Amino acid sequence: MAEQEPPLQVLSRRVPETTDTDEAIVVTAAVVTVIGAVGFVIALLLSSPLWVYGSLLAMALFALATGIRRYFAAGFPDVEAIEPRAQPVGARQDQDNHDGHDDHEDGATAGAGAIAEVHSVGRRPFLTRMLLGAGGVFAVSLLALVPSLGPSPGDALVTTRWTRGRRLVTSGGMPLRPDDIVTGGINTVWPEGAIGDEYSAVILVRLPGEAPQPPTRLEWVVNDELIAYSKVCTHAGCPVGLFRERDAALFCPCHQSTFDAARGAIPTFGPTARALPQLPMGLDDEGYLIALGDFQAQVGPAFG
Amino acid sequence: MTPLFALLFDSLDERLHLRAPGRKTANKVFPDHWSFLLGEVALFALVVLVLTGFFLTMFYRPSTDPVLYTGDSELYAGRVLPAAFESIVRLSSDVTGGLFMRRLHRGASHLFIGSIVLHMLRVLLTGAFRRPRELNYLAGIGLLTLAFAAGFTGYSLPYDQLAGTGIRIAFSELLSFPYIGDQLAFWIFGGTALTEAAIPRFFVFHVMLLPAVILGGVAVHLAIVVRQRHTQFPRAGVDGHRFVVGKPLWPIQFAVSTTLILWIGGVLALSAVLIPWSDVLIVGPYRPGEVGNNAQPDWFLFWLEGALRIFPPIEFGLLGFVVSGPFVAGIVMPGLIFGGLAVYPWVERHVYGLKGDWHVLQNPLDIPLRAAVILGTFSFVLLLSMAATNDIIAVLTRIRIEAVTWFFRITCLLVPPLLAGAIFRYSTRRLARRGLVVADAETATDDRTASEVVARQAR
Repeated sequence: MAEQEPPLQVLSRRVPETTDTDEAIVVTAAVVTVIGAVGFVIALLLSSPLWVYGSLLAMALFALATGIRRYFAAGFPDVEAIEPRAQPVGARQDQDNHDGHDDHEDGATAGAGAIAEVHSVGRRPFLTRMLLGAGGVFAVSLLALVPSLGPSPGDALVTTRWTRGRRLVTSGGMPLRPDDIVTGGINTVWPEGAIGDEYSAVILVRLPGEAPQPPTRLEWVVNDELIAYSKVCTHAGCPVGLFRERDAALFCPCHQSTFDAARGAIPTFGPTARALPQLPMGLDDEGYLIALGDFQAQVGPAFG
Repeated sequence: MTPLFALLFDSLDERLHLRAPGRKTANKVFPDHWSFLLGEVALFALVVLVLTGFFLTMFYRPSTDPVLYTGDSELYAGRVLPAAFESIVRLSSDVTGGLFMRRLHRGASHLFIGSIVLHMLRVLLTGAFRRPRELNYLAGIGLLTLAFAAGFTGYSLPYDQLAGTGIRIAFSELLSFPYIGDQLAFWIFGGTALTEAAIPRFFVFHVMLLPAVILGGVAVHLAIVVRQRHTQFPRAGVDGHRFVVGKPLWPIQFAVSTTLILWIGGVLALSAVLIPWSDVLIVGPYRPGEVGNNAQPDWFLFWLEGALRIFPPIEFGLLGFVVSGPFVAGIVMPGLIFGGLAVYPWVERHVYGLKGDWHVLQNPLDIPLRAAVILGTFSFVLLLSMAATNDIIAVLTRIRIEAVTWFFRITCLLVPPLLAGAIFRYSTRRLARRGLVVADAETATDDRTASEVVARQAR
């Protein structure tokens, strides 16, 4: 059922005289587009003022427009054509003249690859590539807005809010003394002044029986039984919220990573491969639990 | 046609010339099989999602700032809650029809993803992906991925305890990406205070970006089906390679579709009555550093969750970046599965030396490789999904969680290839018993014209 599309009915056709000027304009326009686009990227990433990168983008757009317009105007014949309308309804016209003559029927193409009927005058692959290249550079330059979506990680994933002398406080803001912790119980604690800072969450454990063993850093253990570990699971970042007394196991409910609290929170089961970092902990003059510094191992899941 | 309708139609027709295209559309033939309606079910679920979504968006607040709840819910009376969660509490308790709309939306989202998966399974089993339909098949896989993303961002918006945990894991998954993982995560989540910045971001993804891309993708997907015409099961007396056989749009397919839409609407409405979809009010708002015991994502992500749970502990350096469990289980593995599904049409074509276009569907047992690949892949995904409930299984059966996890590690590794091999052998023997081989081309069964076929049937 191959329906042939009728060929374009041409009224007039004027072949332009392509001059060197036209070529020069297209090439210059492509170059200016690239300069504007790259300039836009650099200006944006260097935090230049708005008028700088805005103007560069505008320049790139105007240049690309000029280049494309000149490419077509100087390289393709100027054609005027006619196309019949569907049967128009005049003042006295009958309505049953709708015959299925619909110009927008789908039809097979007239021949292999013959979609375009008006072809360019001569072949100019160099100009075509320049314009396509310029357009491509321009499109890619718009990605310069992506870094604005979020800050650079910096050391945000490497340091926490724990500093030397910072008190451990509960979610309600209360500092803690060793006697406040129940045996076999766990407490979620935060640096004073940074309650709710996810990467600083710490789990404070009073070991139920066993004394802590290496690789636990014994100098960071208080009264031989109070240990603090990062609560951020080293697997996928969930809070390690469960404690199993019988084997002093810290247990993450998300994917069941299990850590031995008496042995430096090394993983004993589950999908995690790294121990929970231990918080250097001590006591201040008033007997409150404090941190002796930030964690000395990577908090949370691996990256990079 | 009543006189009024005739008048309206004629006035439109004078301006738009609808008769010819109208007749062509009304006569369009739709092959008739219940499994061909799965895509329509997904489409209708999408319509429900968009319409209920408009309503929900008017009440939802995309922010985690603390807000005092002063509404009627006894559970949360007088409490300070994150604004997003508070807006959900208000919508559920203080807006007439609010909870109903929320449940419809959630129920429709499950139906949307579920019917897409079943539709994909049907396409895979019957070979509707074969040339010339490979492009549409790829578009479908793209739509499935977008549906997953829409589902995940959607159920994260209420910012309840489960949602926050899921956002946390998603952030860590992005982190695990080689070299640029941390920067990528910071760009997509807006920084390190990930759950605070994530909610406004997810709002844009879920309400603007993903619906736009999904609707565009669906339009392309349907346009291609209309252009290429639907595949069909073999039908005696009609050369399926040269003709589509089925029911015309008007009146039969229209009646079927309309009835289906209304049935589905009824099912969704009834489900909203009987099932407390998305009852986040019971779960409570997300609080940093806290996590509930039953930390499971929505069902369609169970396979990823299970993979994360049972994957053995690994973390090592490779070519300057860190390979971790979350990277392999959460990015590489799903990438391989989706990638494998995407290239399968070309694999099958190459293995069996297929030629030409195919418009008639096949029995999957007639193509051993296909049966094996589908059964192997889906049994793997199913077992992984079961592994996501390992903690629940441990509690119910009183078996230690470590043993349950090891059980799934072994079964997920061994069972899918064994099943694939078994059905490959069965399928091959079945073909041999019947003296058949895998056809390498779909040829016209005869050269009768359409009118000759019709005349023959009439006799």
